[in-house]
This record gives sequence, C-alpha cells and structure tokens, in this order.
Amino acid sequence: MIRIKARSVTAGVVEGEAIVSQMPISFTGGMDPDTGTIREPSHDLEGRSVAGKILVFPTGKGSTTGSWQFYAAFKRGNAPKGIINVKAEGVVAVSAIITDTPMVHELENDPLELIKTGDFVKINADEGFVEIEGKSDNEKG
Amino acid sequence: MELSKKQQEMLEGKHGRGARKAMEILVAYGECYNAERMIPITSVHIAGNYPVLMDEGIEWLEDLAQGGTKVSVYTTKNPEMFDFDDWEELKVPEMYQDRQRRIDAVLRSLGVTLTYSCHHYLLGNVPRFGDHIAWASSGSQVYANSVIGARSNRDGDHVALAAAITGVIPEWGMHLTENRRGQVVVETERLNLEGFTTADYQAIGWRVGKIVGDKIPVFVNLPADSAIQNIKGILYTLTVTGAVGLVHLVGITPEAPTLEAAFGGTVRPLDRISVEQKDIDQAYGEISFTSEDKVDMVIFGCPQCSIQEIQEIAGMLEGKSVHPETQLWICTSAWVKTLCERMGLLEALKSCGVRVVADVGAADGPHLYLKEQGVRVIAINSARGSYYAHNLFGMDTWFGSSRECIQTAISGRWEGKK
Repeated sequence: MIRIKARSVTAGVVEGEAIVSQMPISFTGGMDPDTGTIREPSHDLEGRSVAGKILVFPTGKGSTTGSWQFYAAFKRGNAPKGIINVKAEGVVAVSAIITDTPMVHELENDPLELIKTGDFVKINADEGFVEIEGKSDNEKG
Repeated sequence: MELSKKQQEMLEGKHGRGARKAMEILVAYGECYNAERMIPITSVHIAGNYPVLMDEGIEWLEDLAQGGTKVSVYTTKNPEMFDFDDWEELKVPEMYQDRQRRIDAVLRSLGVTLTYSCHHYLLGNVPRFGDHIAWASSGSQVYANSVIGARSNRDGDHVALAAAITGVIPEWGMHLTENRRGQVVVETERLNLEGFTTADYQAIGWRVGKIVGDKIPVFVNLPADSAIQNIKGILYTLTVTGAVGLVHLVGITPEAPTLEAAFGGTVRPLDRISVEQKDIDQAYGEISFTSEDKVDMVIFGCPQCSIQEIQEIAGMLEGKSVHPETQLWICTSAWVKTLCERMGLLEALKSCGVRVVADVGAADGPHLYLKEQGVRVIAINSARGSYYAHNLFGMDTWFGSSRECIQTAISGRWEGKK
C-alpha cells in the first residue's frame, strides 16, 4: 500500500475501485445521469460506467450546468463515490461539494500514472491523502 | 483562502444552513483557482430552467431554501419553459406546469426576482463599469464583461446562487485586471461589413470562437457605431463555439478604447487571425442542421427579442400572414410583451398569425413540449438557438437572417442559405 499526499477540495473518507481516464470530463452531455455511463464520443471511458467508483481524471471541462447533471446522477445512485483530479476545476468541485463526495487534487505524484483502473483506492479528504492498495512505495517513481 | 470573520461564521453555520452550504460551495470553488480572498458582488443572474435542473435540481433548491435562506443581492432569473398566461393555448402538459410552479415557488422564497428573461441587463439588472458580478448564463456574462465592463467569470448556477446568498465571490479569473488583457487580434477588414446582417455577424462569432477557444479575442476593425444586435450577434455566438468570457471590441468595450489599452498598455507580438468571406459561408453550413425544406416553426428570441427587434419583425410582416402549416413565435420577456400590447404590436402580430410568448427563450425551454406536439423542423435567426435546439433537443434547425426567417414563415419553406 502506498500513500500520496493530496490537497482536499471537499471533506470525507471513501474507498473503492478506481476507474481512470486520461481525458477531461464534461458532466453535461458527457455523462448519462440515468446510468453513470460516459457517453462522449471518442472519450477513453466511452461506454463505461463511473457509478459507485473512485473516478480519477485530469480535470473538468464543458458547460457550467454540469453540476446539475452530476447532482441528478448522484440522486439516482449513478455518480462516482470519490473524485481524484490532477487539478480541480469549478464544475467538478461544485459537483463534489453539493453531493458531499470526497474529492482531492494536486497530488504529490501523478495519479494518472500511479492509479490503474481496477485498483482499490482510498481517499481521505479530511487529512489530505490517497492510498493505493497492492502497490509499494518504490512505484511512486 | 483568507476569510473575514463573517465569512468564517457563515462557513461554521452561524448564519443558517443555507449560508453554510453557500460558503462551502464558494470555498471549494475558490480553492480550484487559488483565490486568495472573497470580494463583494453587486448583481447575480441565474440560468437553469427545468430541462437543466430536472426534478433533482428542484429538490436541491427546495432544500437550500429550507430555514428561510435568502439572497442578499439583486438576483434575476433566465427564461423558463412557458408563459403562465398562455399555458392552455400552448398546450403545455400538466407535468411541466407542476414543475414550473415549484420552480416559481422556491425562487420566490429565496428572494430571486422572477424575471424569466435573458435580457435582464436591458431591464433593471444593470451593473456598472468595474462592478464584480456573478452571471450564470454564458451569453449575458460575455455581454457584461465586454459591453458594460463589469467583471464576471463563467460561474454556474450553484456558484452564482451561493454568491447571491453570501454577497461575495472568490477573487480569480475575470475579476482580476491582469487576466483581462487581450490575447488574439481579430481582423475583419476583408469583410464588407456594410452589407452584413445580424446573422452574418453571428457567423463571424461562430468562426472566431472555434479558433480562439478560451483566449481573449480583440476585434480591431468594428465600427464604434455598430448596432447593438450585431455586437450581441458576435458575443453570444462566440460562447457557443469557444469558452470565451471576455471579448475586446476596440472602440466599444470600455476597457479597450485603443488597441494598446486592450492589451493592458503594451502590444506584444500576438496571434492574429483574419476573418474572410469564405469563413462566413462555411459557418452557415455548420450552423444549420437539416436539409428539409418544409418548416414547422419559425422562432425568434435567442436571446429574447427587444422591443426594437419586434418592431422590425412586425414591419417585415406587414400586410402578409404566416403560412397555415407553419407557426411563428417571438420569445421575449414579460416586460417587452406588455410594451408590445401597449404599442398595439400584439394585436397587429396576432392578425398576421404570430404568437408573442413571454418568459421563454428560443433556444431551450419550449422545445420539450413542442417536440411532443410534433414540431421537428425549425427556422431560427440565432446561431446559438440553432445549436442548442439541435444538440439539446434533437430539433432539425435552419439558421438565417431575420428576413429569411420571415419569408420562410410566409411560404412555409426554407428561404435562406443552404
């Protein structure tokens, strides 16, 4: 298990299976609130559901109405349960805060390299760190 | 971020749970952009209508309003789905009436002024030069920054509402002078602007937005006496194809009396683009999303029509009438509809077969039920409206000038560029 320092955007602790994208995500038009599926054509997560996962991606993009879309997905049980961003952006941060979703960004090491889809990940946004199961410290690079 | 004593108290819940939620939103938002402090704002405009909010969004607002949460600065609201005076004639389903009643009730309880208008800046919500504001609709936000010289980021509804409740916003982006300098010079000297329609100006905006992305463009060849609808044509369209929050129109934008001023005093070597006629022609092809000649509906009002625009439409229609198989709607605010009535325009337009609808915009709200009523092919004089009606509601849309749209309404077939 390795632990990486991070800056908290919201509070809370959550753990689960990671799903990792190398591309920015727009919640408006890019994620179906009825399924949690990424539906942006040519996105690296196209057709994959982020529901109940720890969603790891670079940053947000797109319409500021994305926070309404994320909130609807959350109420329908289809939102990710934790968010790790390289650098947080307004729409994603607001989505996390209105749904009490634990969220961190600005990690000491690049989460897009360290975390693979399927890894078991813990976000502790109260104390500001992320833990990845089954990895050793020398993988931090 | 450094918070004042009162802001810290809000965060701790000492001013109620609504203020606490609002301050939590602003702190998380400010954190993303390394804002150092909160600054006071003078004006807020919120946007989300039912298709955006959905049932869950209404519930979120109702929860926020619990315990008597109120806005503390003047806050107006973008258009909704239908005009309550007209719901029977518009054949609005019961479900949507229920949702709009709930939106009405919760916004009234929060203290939001129920303008249901996107030309709120023509009718009371008028910031002054240099004011910090939070406007959550991308079109009016770029208008505020570029024409009025007020300062707003591209804030979403949650942030704008949080700002309305607390009276402050994190200081970042467009609020800071150093971030308002021009980045890309846009030349239009090769275009024959004298013969340009407002639709042609929108085609300029369409093209420039695609090229500049989120960079701040500086238009250097627009005449200082350009008509306001042409300026709006450029600005409102730029925000569709680009993520632009501020446009410097040299000689028009208060911060850009000269090219040097637009760049903050020094003109550095910068990117330059020149818009040509072939770009305009290409844009027309991209803004229409259909090839069907028969048009079900012609719709004006994205953004909502001003009284001048309605007078112009009425003038073009005089002595003619709308084709029996085509509808013509003019979307506007309740104020302007009242003015139309007073000016005798409502009657005159009605006799030509035109419906003036208040409280809705031509880009979104009504399409939910229009689609259910079988309206499919739409002609519109707004690039923004064409794009959203197509992409959000799957409408087949034609885009052209006001005159072409009027001719289409009369013949029932698309009369513009193909």
